[in-house]
Amino acid sequence: MSDARPLPQRVVIAGDGQLGALTAVALKRALPSSEIVVIGGSFDPAALADTAASALPFTNRLHDSLGIDEDVLVRRCGASHRLAVRYLGWGGVEHEGVAAYGGAGDPALRTAFARDWGSGMRHASSERPAGSVSEALARAGRFARPSGEAGEPLAEVDYCLRWNGAAYRDLLVEYAHGLGVAYHRGRIVGGAPDGAGGLAAIAVEGVGQVTADLFLDCSGPQGLLSQLPDYRRVDWSDQLPVRGLIYARRGDPALSLADTILLTSSGWLAEGAGRDGRSRMLAAPEAATDADIRAALHAEPVSALALHPGRAERAWIGNVVALGDAAATFEPLGWLNLDLAHRQLALLLELLPGDTPDPRERDEFNRRAALMADRARDFVAAHYAAPAARGVFGTLARSPELALALDQFERRGRLPFFEETPMLAQEWAVMLDALGIPAGTSPLRQAADPRATAAAAEAMAHKCEAAVRAAPPYGEWMTRMLQAQ
Amino acid sequence: MGWRRVAASEATRVVVLGGGTAGWMTAAALAKLLGPLVRVELVESEDIGIVGVGEATLPHIRGFVERLGIDEAAFMQATHATYKLGIDFRDFGRIGEAYVHPFGSFGEEVAGVPFHHYWLELRRQGMAGPIGDYSLAVRAALANKFQTPLQDGSLASSYGYAYQFDATLFGPFMRDFAIGLGVTRTEGRVTSVERDGESGDVRALLLEDGRRIEGDLFVDCSGFRSLLLGSELDEPWEDWSHWLPCDRAAAMPCSHVTHEIEPYTRAVAMPAGWRWRIPLQHRIGNGYVFSSSFVSEDEAVEAIRGAAEGEILAEPRLLRFRAGRRRNSWSHNVVAVGLASGFLEPLESTSIYLAQVAVTYLLELFPAGGRIEARDRAEFNRLVDMEYDRIRDFLILHYHATERDDSPFWNHVRTMAVPDSLAAKMELWRDTGRVEKYSDGLFYNASWLAVYVGQGVLPRRHDARASLPDPLQVIRALQTLEGAIGDAVAAMPGHRAYLESRAERLAVAP
Repeated sequence: MSDARPLPQRVVIAGDGQLGALTAVALKRALPSSEIVVIGGSFDPAALADTAASALPFTNRLHDSLGIDEDVLVRRCGASHRLAVRYLGWGGVEHEGVAAYGGAGDPALRTAFARDWGSGMRHASSERPAGSVSEALARAGRFARPSGEAGEPLAEVDYCLRWNGAAYRDLLVEYAHGLGVAYHRGRIVGGAPDGAGGLAAIAVEGVGQVTADLFLDCSGPQGLLSQLPDYRRVDWSDQLPVRGLIYARRGDPALSLADTILLTSSGWLAEGAGRDGRSRMLAAPEAATDADIRAALHAEPVSALALHPGRAERAWIGNVVALGDAAATFEPLGWLNLDLAHRQLALLLELLPGDTPDPRERDEFNRRAALMADRARDFVAAHYAAPAARGVFGTLARSPELALALDQFERRGRLPFFEETPMLAQEWAVMLDALGIPAGTSPLRQAADPRATAAAAEAMAHKCEAAVRAAPPYGEWMTRMLQAQ
Repeated sequence: MGWRRVAASEATRVVVLGGGTAGWMTAAALAKLLGPLVRVELVESEDIGIVGVGEATLPHIRGFVERLGIDEAAFMQATHATYKLGIDFRDFGRIGEAYVHPFGSFGEEVAGVPFHHYWLELRRQGMAGPIGDYSLAVRAALANKFQTPLQDGSLASSYGYAYQFDATLFGPFMRDFAIGLGVTRTEGRVTSVERDGESGDVRALLLEDGRRIEGDLFVDCSGFRSLLLGSELDEPWEDWSHWLPCDRAAAMPCSHVTHEIEPYTRAVAMPAGWRWRIPLQHRIGNGYVFSSSFVSEDEAVEAIRGAAEGEILAEPRLLRFRAGRRRNSWSHNVVAVGLASGFLEPLESTSIYLAQVAVTYLLELFPAGGRIEARDRAEFNRLVDMEYDRIRDFLILHYHATERDDSPFWNHVRTMAVPDSLAAKMELWRDTGRVEKYSDGLFYNASWLAVYVGQGVLPRRHDARASLPDPLQVIRALQTLEGAIGDAVAAMPGHRAYLESRAERLAVAP
């Protein structure tokens, strides 16, 4: 006879950034009768999941499941929408590519072959779509949210949100407080081992010993997990070249449906729109000099931080589970840091332990979390395979999975499926295409009837036109949205 | 964009050896989907019989039929097909116990916690019925009801379906279809194989009458004999018979005894294996899959005779096989599809699926222009291996997860060591009630759940959150679900009535 495991009596979350706060909301909702305690006050600027002001489409679904309303994010946290990333210079001088989010698009154009055979998302072929509805909207600067009705012109639109980090965190803290999450402020100065590889308690300055059944480490790369004796790190520096992030002062507020990632001779420069101001950040390899950085940034740097890419060999040790930068650190290329953190959180919610972690459940979490992190790393690392990137970053090592994916894509227009990959095959395909990495042609496409392909392209164009007609200019939509309350 | 006309001389010459199910599926798919890029020739000999495996299929077959633009009605009529909602397993965990492994789900997750944790919690309190009560596919199957599912996210879309058909008619149906697409059929028996002295690639097949069939790519669909991959290229065999000891089947059709046709396949555990029962439009297929180490062929034949419910329509036919696979399914310029690449017994109706995925991967990795890249071959083998390995573990579970100690066969499989990959999955389930997650390959959460629970492997503990809601509320929710399923099943037509209402699917009575 099977018994429900005893509930954890207390869960302690180390870190009160936006990741710690969302984790607290999620845990309190999952375990309403347990005590959820956040320990804050030691903010680490190197925690990129905490400093990120942008997530990816997965977060919208996580928010939905946690009752976090997008309208509230728009009204109170300065949230705005990104439909696509504009890549500049990656394919060579003057090269421009646009990569939209979402897996939609006309199946006939992509010859989404294996899927048509009834086997789900895997091995969906990745022929360059003639466009997607999201891309058409991003290019036209028009936006409206899909209503959820099947067949509507905007049904295929997928997007991600950016927001003001402080306002978003404040909102989550307010939610957490409302749910009854406890909060202590103080630096974590030590931990008492529990004799099983984890922790019995942590020592918090000004608070004392805090015991818990489960500790969630949302405190960044130097967090709780890294202090455990069994902690091991997998180094990624042979695959990811960025060693420093240099930030410029925020610019004027800007509304845009696309953000830009520009390849310069000193690294890559991300320019993000935002209702709270435009952001600029340069990601530079070790070799970049101050002069290079200034020139690339077109501004005086206001802050900088060093980056040592890698992940925890096991993100869950004993009763300590690391999320975000405590589990994996890498350059914020494509805004994957918070996305990965949220996927790890969703995985934890799926495999939520009872009062005592089960070793097999922990192994399953670690297996899947490692796959997730490695595939996120591969998505980032794929950028450095762009034709112009090699001149800036040199030749880098590639994981066997990335090497296979790039080889298959370039020769055959095919992207193999890998378990726990954070992005859809179509998102990989449009990203590679936007980087100037040409897709090979699959035999299925070579053999396809050109009339059918042309008809599908025409249908897609009509669909894009209909979507553009159905959506107002983004600024107009936003004004209406803000006036509606 | 991307399309170009290919001159006939540039087309890749594909020679398919063997005209059984796998051979004609391959020929038809290549001709249909690679049209101008290939010239397909299939060599078969009427003297050599076909195994005709896979009377029962998986839902994936529908994708194959649709993708090739085959009319479902014509296909069902030609193969005497019926609909299939799952497999009814009897006597596997314990004699007298049964469960259905459905093409569908059990309940719905609540607050992010899968249904079965709540079910386990209520079961502990004695408040839950069998888990199959909460699956529309299971209930419809057992009520002999059928209608095609919807796709609207409602209860009516919580299941899928496959077909049960006469496999000896499926090959010929695909043959006619393939020939219509321009596939050349060559009658003849292969007497020798011509190889390239340097690369070892196969250059041509030499036939008894002296003809020489040249090709760029050879697809070995010669069945268990594996003439090209096995005999000629000597690709090593990975033997799995220590885990899956059944090595024979005695197959025998009989007539229907009831008016209604069950929309499911039945698998009944036997003293030295198991037997299938597959209802088609005009007959029932029966077969005893057994291990010759534990029962003699004669005894097995008698056993299947004894199990037939209706009039015996043909003498039992004996098949011999081994569980396992070739280490590589693609070696040199030879790709094996179907039984020539490996064999897993039909306990979960995977034979045609394995041929189908091999064809799918071959199409994705097809050497257009005839030049084969070693990387594509390696990728094909990686994908095929993964499919085999995952199915293997799932099949072994059906034998290993048992309390039966009534025969030497069941004592053997109950106590044998299983692959580490399966042992880890079972331990995770036993300790936590969680199913190891993967998205590729076959058989996901609901399938593992059906077999674990159906064969009495229950976890020691389940998710802590299952105890959070008020039990009365959970009981009411389960009752509501059970009631809704009951209403949905009551509103569905009987399987035969449904088939008769779509008469173009009915074969002319023989």
